[in-house]
Amino acid sequence: MIVQMKRLSLVAHKSDEQALLKELQPLGAVEVIPETEETRDQSGLDAAQSNVDRLSEALNILKPYGKKGGLLTAAPEASLQEIRDKMPEALRLSSELEMLQKDLQYCRAQADKNAGIIETLLPWKDFPSDMADTKGSKYVRYFTGLLDAEDVPKLEELKDIIEVQIVSEAKTDAILIACAESDAKTVQNYLKSLSWTEFSFPKLSGTPQEAIDRLREENDALGNEAQQLIGKIEEKSTFRDNLGGAYDAAVIERDRAEAATEIGLTECTFHLEGWVPEDRVADVKAAVESVTDAYYMDVRDPEEGEVPPSVVRNSDFVEPFEAVTNLYSRPDPRGIDATPYMTPFYILLFGMMLSDTGYGLLLLIGGLLFLKLKKPTGMMASLAKVITWGGLSTIIWGFLTGTFFGLDFDVIFGTNNVFPILVDPMSDPIMMLILCFGLGVLHILFGVGLKIKMSLEQGDWQTAVFDNLSWVLIIVGLIMFAGSSSVQGLPPVISKIGLVLAIVGAVMILLFKGRAKKNVFGRTVAGLGELYQVTSYLSDILSYARLFALGIATGVIASVFNQLCAMLMSSPNIILKILGTLVACALLVGLHLFNLAINTLGAFVHCARLQYVEFYGKFYEAGGRTFQPLGYNAKHVRLTDK
Amino acid sequence: MAIQWGFVFAALGAALAAGLAGSGSALGVGIAGQAAAGVVSGDPDRFGSCLLLQLLPGTQGIYGLLIAFVIASKAGLLGASGVAVQATQGLQLLMASLPIAIGGLVSGIAQGKVAASGICLVAKKPEEQGKAMLMTVMVETYAVLSLLISFLLVNGVQV
Repeated sequence: MIVQMKRLSLVAHKSDEQALLKELQPLGAVEVIPETEETRDQSGLDAAQSNVDRLSEALNILKPYGKKGGLLTAAPEASLQEIRDKMPEALRLSSELEMLQKDLQYCRAQADKNAGIIETLLPWKDFPSDMADTKGSKYVRYFTGLLDAEDVPKLEELKDIIEVQIVSEAKTDAILIACAESDAKTVQNYLKSLSWTEFSFPKLSGTPQEAIDRLREENDALGNEAQQLIGKIEEKSTFRDNLGGAYDAAVIERDRAEAATEIGLTECTFHLEGWVPEDRVADVKAAVESVTDAYYMDVRDPEEGEVPPSVVRNSDFVEPFEAVTNLYSRPDPRGIDATPYMTPFYILLFGMMLSDTGYGLLLLIGGLLFLKLKKPTGMMASLAKVITWGGLSTIIWGFLTGTFFGLDFDVIFGTNNVFPILVDPMSDPIMMLILCFGLGVLHILFGVGLKIKMSLEQGDWQTAVFDNLSWVLIIVGLIMFAGSSSVQGLPPVISKIGLVLAIVGAVMILLFKGRAKKNVFGRTVAGLGELYQVTSYLSDILSYARLFALGIATGVIASVFNQLCAMLMSSPNIILKILGTLVACALLVGLHLFNLAINTLGAFVHCARLQYVEFYGKFYEAGGRTFQPLGYNAKHVRLTDK
Repeated sequence: MAIQWGFVFAALGAALAAGLAGSGSALGVGIAGQAAAGVVSGDPDRFGSCLLLQLLPGTQGIYGLLIAFVIASKAGLLGASGVAVQATQGLQLLMASLPIAIGGLVSGIAQGKVAASGICLVAKKPEEQGKAMLMTVMVETYAVLSLLISFLLVNGVQV
């Protein structure tokens, strides 16, 4: 159900502003429309934002350390007051963490730098004298550098004017060359023509070997210090929950501060414009009255040109499936909420794509455990519930098609051909395909039916009859015409009725599709174009073949895994047999879990696709905007006060 | 011993189905994986959604495996089987493997490319993951259709 949105205007005394916002925030019912004309003092928002940033930085620093909440650990519960009280302590802690992190980064950077110097000094470690001595003097110039080994003999050419000392030999040699200051230019030019790489010693005292030793010692010390710092940071990781709670409190405060900057102000009043769902107006009014009686509040329907956010309200059963719709697009606030109509089909088709009782049981139990232990919220909770319902449906479809972890039910129960109850896709694929297409036709016709309903509600009977009902006639008619011949014992008149229906539908389209056009010829051309749509309906229906294909993909792969493991267990040698059985058992668990995971993902997305493209394509009006009310958006704790 | 052409053809069919469709998936998952690694290097929190998208082109390989297995078990290649597969039936099985072999190879690569783009989309707009997945699954439709025809053709062979 789409909830009507109301435009709220609230005027009250400026001094009540903070108190009012504090009362409105827990309701989560008002989306503030930013006042664009004047800009307000941002300092409150900036301070609140900086708290959020600091705490989120602290949480990031702690991320690699300490134990994390497991997959099935629920977030801790806390009241708003509790997490608010944690703020000052958490902010102090985050400053501390920031300092530690900074020191740690400094240590690591310094160690990296030292390691780099050591690396460059290694070829020079046999250099016997102080590095500072290579600076040269008034009459002597030293060159230090690296030269490819093959170029070293070429230095012979200058042997009259230079003294060469090879410090170390490798692919490139480290070389010291001394010459008279007056020859320096000649030597330099000659070196440039070789593969000479100039090397200047770092500004350190002592011989290279001494420097290396010193740097290594320094790095050991830095390593120790880094370890200590990491230890200190790790100690703080026990406060992760406090930090998370404080972060949530900071976000709540930030959101309120942000709302405050979006509210218009006059000399002594403030003026809040916003959207409220119709069913929450009374709550908002009560909240305002609890603060002050000096207020003016106006609630009206949206005017032309104003686009309200889209809000839907559904029963607990349908509500999780809103997440599936939201993945596509939220409904247009003036359209209809398709989720309640989509839900039963989603459950039905999801189960059909997995159709294995064993896998269904795993999904059902897993989903329930996840919901029970993790207590997820938001999108996560919705998806878990969707999967749980899908699991239930999968169990039933598994009975109907007779598979349990890829095994035949008859094998397990020792029954003789009781299963499958409905149809065995492996031995009777055509029957299964017909079942899929049948469901597809139902699904599509239901979508067209919804479009007819919508058009009639808007008073547009022409669209309902000529553009949509005509298609129902064509589809039903064609199916009766073609289908009745393949089923024996049906009177031939059904086929004739079908043909008549289809022709009536086609004529309706031919004559009235282009009803906006005056020209008869133009009308007929538009009608012919529309009739070509029959291919799109055909491809829509054929698209439901994926139900069958994904169904056998799950079942056959499961039985392939079973057979592989059966081969492992069937060795005649007793020792190999025991070993094989052990390996096979472990393999079975892993392989089936893999198959379940990949096919659940497949079923989820393919089922969603059938809803989005084949079903929603017929009637859904997408493009709504998400409702983002001022509220409590807690990520790390579950707030107890609502 | 005379070559039993029936078995040869059936084995070739099974090999093509598993090999080509598997190659398609390998390439597709590879392409998507490169994009995913790039995105995760920037924002490790995206790992979950990237992994889901990376997995999507992996199904062609599974479809290929499925057809290969059905062919192999039908032709009695997996163990002792009394019936000898005639050359005609073997050729039929070989032909039946072609839709998923070719369809799986090409659609796997194409789907990998879409998945990679989808991963980039998720990097910029995490809330649009549903759309990224939907676009990727659009490609898979044709792998599913290939699988369907391969399965029906294999199923129709009388051994």
